[in-house]
Amino acid sequence: MLCSCGCLQKAGGGGKRRSSSSVEDASSSRMSELESNSRPQTTEAASTRTSSLLQLFHRKGPKCFRKPQRPKSPMQAEKTIRAAIFIQKWYRQHQARQEMRKRCNWQIFQNLEYASEQDQAELYKFFHELIKHMPQAAGTGNKSPTSTCTALLEESEALMEEVGDIVSTKVEIPIMKSHIDLLIDVFRKKRSNRLHPKYVVLILREAAKSLKEMPNLSMVSTAVSQQVTVCGDLHGKLDDLLVVLCKNGLPSTSNPYVFNGDFVDRGKKGLEVLLLLLSLYLAFPNAVFLNRGNHEDSVMNARYGFSREVERKYPRNYKRLLRLIDEVYRWLPLGSIINNRVLIVHGGFSDNTDLDLIKSIDRSKYVSILRPPLTEGQPLDKAEWQQIFDIMWSDPQSVPGCIPNTLRGAGVWFGPDTTEKFLERHRLSYMIRSHECKPNGHEFTHDNKVITIFSASNYYALGSNKGAYIRLNNQLVPRFVQYISAASQAKKLTFKQRVGIVESAALKELAVKMREYRDELETEFKKYDPDDKGYITISKWCYVMEKVTKLGLPWRLLREKLAPGTDSKSVNYFRTLDLLDTDVILEAEADGTSVMDALYANKTSLETIFNIIDADKSGEITLDEFEKAIDLLDAHMPGDTSKSEMLEKCRMMDLNGDGKVDLNEFLEAFRLSDIHRKQQQEADIRKRSTTRSSINQPPSDSVTKLANIISKNTLIIEQDIDPMDCESKIIEPTK
Amino acid sequence: MDLDFNNDLEKRISDAFCVFDHHGDKLIDVREVGTVLRLLGCVPTEQEVNEVISATETEETSGVVHLTKFLPHVSQLLMERKMEPAAPEKILEAFKILDFENKGYLTKDSFGKLMMEEGEPFTQEEMDEMWPVAIDPISGHIPYELYLNQLMVYL
Repeated sequence: MLCSCGCLQKAGGGGKRRSSSSVEDASSSRMSELESNSRPQTTEAASTRTSSLLQLFHRKGPKCFRKPQRPKSPMQAEKTIRAAIFIQKWYRQHQARQEMRKRCNWQIFQNLEYASEQDQAELYKFFHELIKHMPQAAGTGNKSPTSTCTALLEESEALMEEVGDIVSTKVEIPIMKSHIDLLIDVFRKKRSNRLHPKYVVLILREAAKSLKEMPNLSMVSTAVSQQVTVCGDLHGKLDDLLVVLCKNGLPSTSNPYVFNGDFVDRGKKGLEVLLLLLSLYLAFPNAVFLNRGNHEDSVMNARYGFSREVERKYPRNYKRLLRLIDEVYRWLPLGSIINNRVLIVHGGFSDNTDLDLIKSIDRSKYVSILRPPLTEGQPLDKAEWQQIFDIMWSDPQSVPGCIPNTLRGAGVWFGPDTTEKFLERHRLSYMIRSHECKPNGHEFTHDNKVITIFSASNYYALGSNKGAYIRLNNQLVPRFVQYISAASQAKKLTFKQRVGIVESAALKELAVKMREYRDELETEFKKYDPDDKGYITISKWCYVMEKVTKLGLPWRLLREKLAPGTDSKSVNYFRTLDLLDTDVILEAEADGTSVMDALYANKTSLETIFNIIDADKSGEITLDEFEKAIDLLDAHMPGDTSKSEMLEKCRMMDLNGDGKVDLNEFLEAFRLSDIHRKQQQEADIRKRSTTRSSINQPPSDSVTKLANIISKNTLIIEQDIDPMDCESKIIEPTK
Repeated sequence: MDLDFNNDLEKRISDAFCVFDHHGDKLIDVREVGTVLRLLGCVPTEQEVNEVISATETEETSGVVHLTKFLPHVSQLLMERKMEPAAPEKILEAFKILDFENKGYLTKDSFGKLMMEEGEPFTQEEMDEMWPVAIDPISGHIPYELYLNQLMVYL
């Protein structure tokens, strides 16, 4: 940049210290307006040593200044510079605080997401343990063999009529582009426009039948098309899918797509996304490749919202639809390989991953990845099960090594050395995976050999992150298109307001999670406040929060928000508890699904547990068999019951008194104990609210104010999806 | 936590540091050092940030800083009250110096030029983020006293 006095100077700020990654990594992203972002690589003014020295050098001599507005003495010029630096450093301080809020929010969301994924993975580990200790439980899983599932595909039993509006759109086989246009038009409307359930069944059934013919790893070639597009997680964000299709065109032989899993859960339009993807697959075979993700799994769907979504949209037929969806899931390919050079799987791989093995297994055994596979009497192959897990659940790590992924609870963390060995062994150039949300929608790691692609923008909240997709040319050089959907909503806001919105969403989720531990928190806080004043030290507050919630968050930084209005010396923990009891949090809690809800809703899992305990496959559990399983149940379901109580439970399950428990009695027992627990919870809440009013302390102003802010910021206004309403940017390859 | 914290200060530093530790390995990118310092309430110049970076960067891998080096160095700085935030009067003074003609406000052009070219210049991005807060939408100028008050709320 030439300054007006004619000397060359480096443009303000930024140069990167590291040359490794060719795109920004997650740690230095900014949320400024995309279109004015002329420097995709710079960060918050972190000048390099050289550039800042260079500037100071240029600044020293008055000759290099731009023409001053009026003649200044050197002293005056000096004062000006110092004043400028003063203001700049103080402004940067202010910006850093905003940056901090953003990071904190991100940490909150990620921690919460992984913590609840851990819960799900617990189920997998529980089964693993059960099976390990009950060797005779060889043929586990559902008793229903594969054949009945095929029958499911053929059955044409009458569907129940749904109440409410159903659109008149018809879908027929073969599905054509015209149907796609119709579907997009129907699905993008804000009113949950529903297809007639028979068309949903049609799409699911045809898709499952077709997917059955696909190999475990789809072989994709760019010989004809000269390019291919890869999309990552969509998580029910139909608006993002439509942005991609709008910007990149519908699939065709010259425009093939790979969708890398996680089509559903969390977002509100999971069913529409799934149906649209399956329709695209049926309409443009050989141009659409679908990979299974860890959320293409009924156990995950029960917990993360998709099952509920289907139930809400089709209350009379959801069970049938969910069973059909299971059929689709089990036949989804596990990954894709492009030109025999680039592997695309949802999670990653481990030291043990063997693609030849993966190609040869019967993937349809894994109806849910979190439950033991169907084996039809054959011994269960745990190593094979582990292989599936590794490709669906693993994450890359920056340090060498390959260790169990304790954050997710399943899969591994694989280091750059694992990547190198794997790529070499299978003669691949690099790999693409998804599974992790990134602020910029994508990230390079492991010396550019592993690309993460994430296509759901605004994933955690409006403005939380961009989404992206990759276009690979014939040489398989990647080019990224980054975008945010519903951009007009974000554009109206200032940077600070946007941070505020994400922050409110984060706090809300965190508060809901904290509610699970509300009583425990209160007990622990009170331990450090014997006089019941309501105040404890900051250290103790942070300690309790971390200990009880088991979340590794920067509690010190969150203190201001979670105990609003308290000073810098101590914390008024009453405020923390009061925040949890505000309407906005209670409503959010009611809206979500708890782990136990999910477990109960997932009867198949309970059935599986039953089948495992029923060692001799008699269809009934004897006290003897049950006793053997109790130790394991005790270890994995936090024991508030003793062994004798458990045995007693078994006896109680025996409703007809014949000394044995059959499947129905078993399920009934869980339902009853679930009801009992809910009643307990409600009684607790009632007890708490009466105690509060007896102390006569309404929540403080600062708590109410914060609750109102959260409520206002997280109000979502539904609109018709307009795929043109997006901000996007192309990132050219720099490799 | 494998590191022992003697006092609250160290815990504060560690917490701020760990916000930017993405992989849980107690390493942060050097580009985040400035943000961490500011998070702790410091108001460093870019030069001061660079000094901290060179003092704490790991020798083996450039571009990262480990907590074990960061903690003692920054604890020392904070205890010596280096890089402390200024009193509002000082900042007002600074603005007044830039307001050569004593108008009580700065024009967008002159202020923009100053910030982008003098001292430790802003990037275009930083400039873009500053404008919505700094400019009075009616006059199009920067009434610096008001701006100051607005931003001070967060200190």
